[in-house]
Amino acid sequence: MPKHATPLLDQLESGPWPSFVSDMKRQAEKKPEVWDILGQLELSYHDRITHWKHGGIVGVFGYGGGIVGRYSDVPKQFPGVEHFHTIRVNQPSSKYYSTENLRAICNLWEKWGSGMTNMHGSTGDIILLGTKTENLEPFFWDLTHELGQDLGGSGSNLRSPACCLGQSRCEWACYDTQEACHQLTVKYQDELHRPAFPYKFKFKFSGCPNDCVAAIARSDFAVIGTWKDDIRIDQAAVKEYIAGNYPSNGGAHSGRDWGKFDIKKEVIDLCPTQCMWMEGGELKIDNSECTRCMHCINVMPRALRPGKEMGATVCMGAKAPILEGAQFATLIIPFVKVTKENEFQDLVDLIEKAWDWWMEVGKNRERIGEAMQRVGLPAFLEIMDVKPMPQHVREPRSNPYVFWKEEEVEGGWERDIKEFRRRHAM
Amino acid sequence: MAMSTEDLKAAILDKALKSPKAQLYIKDFYACDPDSSPRAIKNAANEMVREGKLTFWSSGSTTMYAAKGRAKNEEGDQGVN
Ligand code: SF4
Ligand code: SF4
Repeated sequence: MPKHATPLLDQLESGPWPSFVSDMKRQAEKKPEVWDILGQLELSYHDRITHWKHGGIVGVFGYGGGIVGRYSDVPKQFPGVEHFHTIRVNQPSSKYYSTENLRAICNLWEKWGSGMTNMHGSTGDIILLGTKTENLEPFFWDLTHELGQDLGGSGSNLRSPACCLGQSRCEWACYDTQEACHQLTVKYQDELHRPAFPYKFKFKFSGCPNDCVAAIARSDFAVIGTWKDDIRIDQAAVKEYIAGNYPSNGGAHSGRDWGKFDIKKEVIDLCPTQCMWMEGGELKIDNSECTRCMHCINVMPRALRPGKEMGATVCMGAKAPILEGAQFATLIIPFVKVTKENEFQDLVDLIEKAWDWWMEVGKNRERIGEAMQRVGLPAFLEIMDVKPMPQHVREPRSNPYVFWKEEEVEGGWERDIKEFRRRHAM
Repeated sequence: MAMSTEDLKAAILDKALKSPKAQLYIKDFYACDPDSSPRAIKNAANEMVREGKLTFWSSGSTTMYAAKGRAKNEEGDQGVN
């Protein structure tokens, strides 16, 4: 029996698609507090403002992250959601589960929380929605002791690192994203569970420039697979595509007849750097101009593959905050080897250099991307011990002024101007 | 020379108790000892949480520290997580 009338929410059940309202009503039969979520949400729709307050002292002992305090601002009306904390559980790399593990997580959450989950939050974590403060410790005990799983990151911590499927299923992966993600998660447990930074910090690992985890848009430190040498071409397979014997894009567009495959229209003319052409019945690529966009490889996966000298590009400083607007990551390291043979040391060096600087100069609630913007790319490259190179240039220079560094100016910034002006009039 | 961990913790506690603001960012403690690295200061502050002298206050997106008993719970915050 519904506890509150919810006419506005009920409308959301009228479409042909699945509805979270129906799901919640079903769950409310088992967990009566869910009626109060529905009631409070209806009130929010009516008032056009959220009735959740968030933030607080909640957490489990020794951890400074993983639990986000949520409270109702109308607890008298909806006592079931007076506390309704969110728990983040670190997802397994690439989100592989056994059904046994999924059942265990669901059962655990039926026991200690509302039973409602969100698989997954945008950071990657398993999100368990809604529990009371007194349930946090017993839940955490069971999670760690029975399931062998751990909380994810929140607050000014390292957030749960995330990766694409990588070499487990994808032929394009230029490095082992799962291994890198797992090893660095284990290495940085302290930063993940206890606040260390001016604000949040995210790593994400994509195996190739398709960037299936959207690392370039969503992470402070994006590791995106790439290759140095030439795209591998199987000319016989190119001919099969041209003849229409192989479906383009691995058959992904087969739901509708798009006409005969046209390599010029669909591949060559769409290459963003125009570095492809046909010559004597063969496909040619000027690899020095290729920007590794993946388009041609995505269209003709049986004919084209990434090169053999594989590694990753590191871009830093993406963010999507409320102030200042969203920003993509900036290329910092065009090519780095990513291998467990040296325990991902090249990445570790870069990460720790960036952290040391940001912990020192980052302002409260300033993402590393904002700090980079504040000091400027030339200064940041110097901090990272990287020499500026053509890949760092976004567009031709338009500003005619030359910026001098103090050490390049005779007498530095402290020079006696009066003395100087005695000899050089304005 | 950087302070010993014990002195550093005492300075952090002093600041957490006397500061007009109940909740402080980790950066607010850097001044407790300019010679200690930010990492040493956050490690000391996090240890003090485990010892029960400080508490974390988190909005979900940012974490702050407060002397035990000084933090306000249920503070509304406009941030995202
Ligand atoms: S990012 Fe690249 S390697 Fe990773 S799953 Fe996507 S296409 Fe494959
Ligand atoms: S990967 Fe992109 S830039 Fe490179 S050759 Fe193919 S389409 Fe052109």
